[in-house]
Amino acid sequence: MSKLDAWNDSLSEDLLKHLQKKISRRKFLAGMLMTGAAASAMPSLVLSAPKYSTQKEPWTTILIVEDHLFPADGNGPSARDINSIAYLQAVMSLDDMDKEEYKFIHQGVGWLNDLAKETHHHAFVALQYQQREQLLHKIATTQAGENWLSVLLFYIFEALLADPVYGGNPDGIGWRWLEHQPGFPRPSESKRYYKL
Amino acid sequence: MNDYDACIVGSGAGGGPVALSLSQAGYNVLVLEKGPWFTESDYFKDEMACCRKSVYTPKLKDEQHVLEDYDEPDGKGGYKWKATPTSESGRDFWNGNCVGGSSSFMSGFFYRLKPDDFRLLSAFGPIKEANIQDWPISYEELEPYYTLVETEVGVSGHATRHRFSEPRSSKDFPFPPTIEHPVSARIDHACEQLGYHSLQIPRAILPYSIKGRQGCSYSGFCGSYGCATGAKGGSRAALLNRAVETRRCTIVAHAKVNRLITNNQGKLVFVEYVDQLGKVNKVSAKIYVLACQAIETSRLLLLSKGIKFPNGLANNSGQVGKNLVFSAGGSGQGDFNYAGLSRAEKQKLKLRGPFINRGLQDWYFINNKQFGRAKGGTIDFLLRHPNIISRAEEYKWGNDDKLVWGSTLKKNLHEGMTAAQTLNYEVFCDWLPTDDCFVSLDTNVKDKWGMPVAKVRLGYHDHDLKIGKFLSEKARKVLAQMGAENISGSVSGSPPQNLVAGGCRFGNDPATSVLDKDCRAHEVENLFVTDGSFMPTGGSVPYTWTIYANAFRVADKIKQQLGSKA
Repeated sequence: MSKLDAWNDSLSEDLLKHLQKKISRRKFLAGMLMTGAAASAMPSLVLSAPKYSTQKEPWTTILIVEDHLFPADGNGPSARDINSIAYLQAVMSLDDMDKEEYKFIHQGVGWLNDLAKETHHHAFVALQYQQREQLLHKIATTQAGENWLSVLLFYIFEALLADPVYGGNPDGIGWRWLEHQPGFPRPSESKRYYKL
Repeated sequence: MNDYDACIVGSGAGGGPVALSLSQAGYNVLVLEKGPWFTESDYFKDEMACCRKSVYTPKLKDEQHVLEDYDEPDGKGGYKWKATPTSESGRDFWNGNCVGGSSSFMSGFFYRLKPDDFRLLSAFGPIKEANIQDWPISYEELEPYYTLVETEVGVSGHATRHRFSEPRSSKDFPFPPTIEHPVSARIDHACEQLGYHSLQIPRAILPYSIKGRQGCSYSGFCGSYGCATGAKGGSRAALLNRAVETRRCTIVAHAKVNRLITNNQGKLVFVEYVDQLGKVNKVSAKIYVLACQAIETSRLLLLSKGIKFPNGLANNSGQVGKNLVFSAGGSGQGDFNYAGLSRAEKQKLKLRGPFINRGLQDWYFINNKQFGRAKGGTIDFLLRHPNIISRAEEYKWGNDDKLVWGSTLKKNLHEGMTAAQTLNYEVFCDWLPTDDCFVSLDTNVKDKWGMPVAKVRLGYHDHDLKIGKFLSEKARKVLAQMGAENISGSVSGSPPQNLVAGGCRFGNDPATSVLDKDCRAHEVENLFVTDGSFMPTGGSVPYTWTIYANAFRVADKIKQQLGSKA
């Protein structure tokens, strides 16, 4: 577990604090409101038109990791069906994407591949399904690894259930799967949150 | 020569009534609003804009709070206060910074206070370590303004007489209730069986189009969302648009007030604000009105030092920022499973759009063995919030607190999200004012303009939790009687930041209050405060109607002070 320990140790306290917002189990962090109000805001990000490519890292690895996180298993849409990678690429291409978080997502791919090479002598994507799954469970036992997977899931949920105008959830596929009736009016492209 | 008759800082429920009332009376009014000016055409049912990004509130790296919780182990088995900037915790304490303020995003559950809320100390006596004070005015003095709000803001419902109902000068509301959800009748039935008296809750929502505002479109996305039709009686839609139509009200958005400037005699002479381009401006007015919501109003006073006010404007008593109150209580829920229901029954239960509009005030005042004669509170019922992303996210953590993914996650997600309708309840009871709940200036953290941010100590009184638990049990009984499953709930001392008041309480004694009974600063003759800051005690209902009513009342006092308009 030396690699994992090193990964854990390399994370600054500031980053862990920042990530708390995305990974926390503690409900109060989502803000406590009453009179039917909902949870509070997350740090702002601005999306641009997605350029969907997984030829390069970190996307080659993240694509496969997300196949594990939200698989094509016949039960509703998969990460690929909801354009999850394109959504994340759009999120990460923005000017005010948090730099530390951006780095963390990239770093996670590096550490995962280092660990794959150390234990199996191959990059993560070259491994068998079961080997990959085992590695993901292994990294999830460390705080850094769990944070990294949790951040990827955070964006998968947005790609699954945010308005299709943001690039995920094509034709409301995520909403239909979870029998969600969206409200109206829905935002047009010119009224996406970062244009307001 | 002053630039304006009145300058109002803040455009929410405290600012809107003053802007409308004064401009209609012929006075020239300037409204300075820190946030942007959104209109109906900017409001969509978009969870990203509403609730996941800082669109209607500042980015925390630009503007934040420092919150003090009593949860740091002191090494001796006890606890001590720990201050945490919200940019680190992610615990956003903003509520809507835009023209219309947080009233733009309210759910519009509208309740009046009751006569005994104005005399809590006299009616129920002191509670140890609580700074309870009677109000310097009575319910009767505010009643005409509660009635005025019903037509000016637009309140819909039917007035229901009950054991603790407050007196009304008009027979019924000017607008009929909004359409109700089939679950409302089930609540009524369960309450009847239990001997409780379910009430139809008035809403600041127009059921039909009138006065240039469209009626409710029943999208089912109300609380936390800006209203796309104008049916919701936020300050902008209901009041400020009409103020602007008088041509005597100017609203400047993106105008962040730095400080209020006094002369050597202690009279306010200027307000200094930074505009969208970063330019610092000064404007003068005969009267200055603060309505920035409780925390920011106290902060602005504390920031506005002067020769006569070395500790902050109107603060020679040291009372500014003190006795901040929230709404105590808690919330809970119960599920109604779809399994075994016919398709039609399921559709009825799932229906999205109509409102529940039900509450209970059977225990607004209590007289029992546990508490003796005591102040209780209000229970509200509402369907679970429609936001789906935040709800789905809960499924990524398993019962063992470990991350869940893959087919297990998808199975849990689909089963959990499609199995049941959820009915929530909320309990509102008095957040007793104490020495441990107040606003001060943080000595380290500053906003993007270099001004110290508000530090808020979030202490609560244990009595609040006892009352909250008592009421929560009643709410849970209703859910159980309705046949709900998975009934759960919690009562905590964690404050709901959207229900905040106090900090500049009004009173007759300048040594123990900031404002006089007209909400004029004891120490500054041309300064008024019209948001919820004036409240010495908060009552056991959401504050908005009372803030609106009091702001209309104070507007009349300001008109008297300004004198007749030529």
